Amino acid sequence: MQEVVKVPQSVDERWDLIDKISRQTVEFGAYKHTLKDAIAELTVKPLTGIPVAIAVIYGFWSFFCDFAGTLFTDGFMVRLFDEHWLPWLQSVFPGGLGNPLYALMIDAGHMEDGVLVASDNCFEAFGVLTSGLFVPFGVVLWAVLAFYLIFAILEDIGYLPRLAVLVDTVLHKIGLHGYAIVPTFISLGCNVPGVTAVRPLETRKQRFMMITLLSVFVPCGAQIGIMQDLIPELMGWIFLTLVIGYLGFGFILNKIVPGKSPEIIMDVPPYQMPTFKNVMSKLWIRTSKFLLVAVPFVLLGCLIVGLMYLTGAMDWLVAVFGPLLMGWFGVPSETVAPLIAGFLRKDLAVGMIGGLMEQGIMTTFQVFTSVVLLCIYFPCLATFALMIKEENWKELLGSLASLVAMVFIYGGLIHLVGIMLGVA
Amino acid sequence: MNEMEEKFGQIYFAVLGAVALAFGIAELIASAGGGFTWGILDSSGAANPMFLSWRAIILLSVGFFYLSSVKDFAEVHQLAKAVMASIMIWIVAGMAIWSMIAGSIPGEETWFNSLEGFLASYAPPYSPEMFLLPFSLVILYYIKKEGETATE
Amino acid sequence: MKILLMGHPNVGKSVFFNRLTGAKVFESNYPGTTVDFMKGWMCIEGEDVELIDVPGTFSLEPKDKAEEVSVEMLEENRDCVVVCVLDASKIERGLYLALEIIERGYPVVVALNMWDVAEDKNIRIDVAKLERILGVPVVPTTAVSGEGFKELVSKLKASAPVKIEEVIKNAGGGESAAVSG
Repeated sequence: MQEVVKVPQSVDERWDLIDKISRQTVEFGAYKHTLKDAIAELTVKPLTGIPVAIAVIYGFWSFFCDFAGTLFTDGFMVRLFDEHWLPWLQSVFPGGLGNPLYALMIDAGHMEDGVLVASDNCFEAFGVLTSGLFVPFGVVLWAVLAFYLIFAILEDIGYLPRLAVLVDTVLHKIGLHGYAIVPTFISLGCNVPGVTAVRPLETRKQRFMMITLLSVFVPCGAQIGIMQDLIPELMGWIFLTLVIGYLGFGFILNKIVPGKSPEIIMDVPPYQMPTFKNVMSKLWIRTSKFLLVAVPFVLLGCLIVGLMYLTGAMDWLVAVFGPLLMGWFGVPSETVAPLIAGFLRKDLAVGMIGGLMEQGIMTTFQVFTSVVLLCIYFPCLATFALMIKEENWKELLGSLASLVAMVFIYGGLIHLVGIMLGVA
Repeated sequence: MNEMEEKFGQIYFAVLGAVALAFGIAELIASAGGGFTWGILDSSGAANPMFLSWRAIILLSVGFFYLSSVKDFAEVHQLAKAVMASIMIWIVAGMAIWSMIAGSIPGEETWFNSLEGFLASYAPPYSPEMFLLPFSLVILYYIKKEGETATE
Repeated sequence: MKILLMGHPNVGKSVFFNRLTGAKVFESNYPGTTVDFMKGWMCIEGEDVELIDVPGTFSLEPKDKAEEVSVEMLEENRDCVVVCVLDASKIERGLYLALEIIERGYPVVVALNMWDVAEDKNIRIDVAKLERILGVPVVPTTAVSGEGFKELVSKLKASAPVKIEEVIKNAGGGESAAVSG
């Protein structure tokens, strides 16, 4: 054995070597699958993994509804803002109904039989200090908190990467990967960190597709929270419409956008108990980031929309864009106002639609259409600012072009389906 | 687990699986027909109609998981199916309980609920998964048993 | 950089390939034959890498047309990295192919695929030791669940050719695992 080794070896020598190696490294009967291994396996195999995913998402969603909706917003915040905060401000703030500063800060009121009436809730009031504070702190904060709590727990347990592996094959059909569910889920909290989470994607094509799809079809937690509060009965339809749009336009984008789409390989750690400290620190980082971005924009949004009403700019825009909205999308011209507010914050805008709904201006189908439109027509300003940073000008133009195309095609399609079903 | 325990587990989870399946079918029918309340069984979907068909799918899967675990129950992969089914029940029932808790704290007219109002929130009727919950806990015994054999 | 995926038939190589490559995958026909193979791309540290799923082969001494194609493809791509996909529950058979490829001077990464199945059959493999003997990266993977792939990809760039004499020396006399620990 000590003399020169013949290379290449003969078949027998090779088997002899393999025998030596395996004797040193392979042990039989030493390992047994544990229950944990077996459960891990169940959650990634499609036949069993899909029902498990359905149950997990059910838990996610019902926790979200009860925590944000039932307990905090409906249970305490609506009472706090509508019965205490709003009446108190209405009584102490100088000016009064009709005064421009009062209209901007507290309540613009609305016309009822030719008389200006004060608002009785913070969705309609639309002042900087009323709606401007109610939307972020009364509704949205709880939605985002609930959302990121569950997200952090799923992440730390190790379920998230397994869900990604499970949907990988399906998403390949639209040129995306399992990893896409991570930015998508984060976007369901807030689109801003969602767009940031696109960075690990390898190619420009992937990033472009993902950013475009996220900013168009994924509603943020703020929006979801308000929608859940105002129109819970329509949520299923809205989500269905958005998911179809997401997959459909993903498929189309994948066909027309040049470039490659290599796999994103995720680390799949074993299942483990999440630690309280980890979950809480993630929750804190994400929620505080969200507040920092959201609150200034909501306040600014209230201010700008209020100013536009006061100066008559809004009436002009309603007159100009009204016919287009009515004719193509089938929504009343008053929708212009929420759509403008939607540039700044979508949650604020959904709240305005809720206000219009309560005044009886819209049918249910129009509410549905305008909420979907609101979701897809333009990313909120914060997301848009980030898109400018993340994409080069060519991609940004591409994003905007596909955005316009998607809004018109999809919005028109929804209207068409509504006409065919006889509900529009 | 010994043979006795395996036999018991097989029969027990076969029955539980069949019941879960029956509940699932009932909820499926309920979701198509607008929901019903029957004695202390609440399948009205009053809170959110979307949840009714969603839950039906989960309960049907739970039923199938339990039933398919029965053959060769002591084997770890088979047992895992029963464990998974139980976890799914815990998720759904846990959320039903959480929903009661969330609804019980704030009051109708006051900030916090009265004691009677608080307690009334926990009164029946309950949704189907709540009836499965106590029976699904038996799996904990088998998880413990499996843990013991694994470390032997 | 180019990567060839080689291994026996039925070691889960196609799922393995799908885990590594993206949505755009091409099926091509090897010129002059009826043998088809898959080709895709992946991205390592920003670099575009072509990945070829070579038809399954038992050894580099071809016994049929498909195996001939496999050997030819290996010879055509002298500058590639070979990921040798083994069935972790039957590593002896897979090691034969791996050793042949190592002998020919290719940089190799060994993937012990179907790791879950091996665990299920109560087989434990001392990965660190195997790595030490072979002198190439060895990574346990489970293609269906995606476990191990992140590690595999991170080791692709580190692989370098090793001399078979080294392997023989490292394997030594072959005292059994129970003794050595």
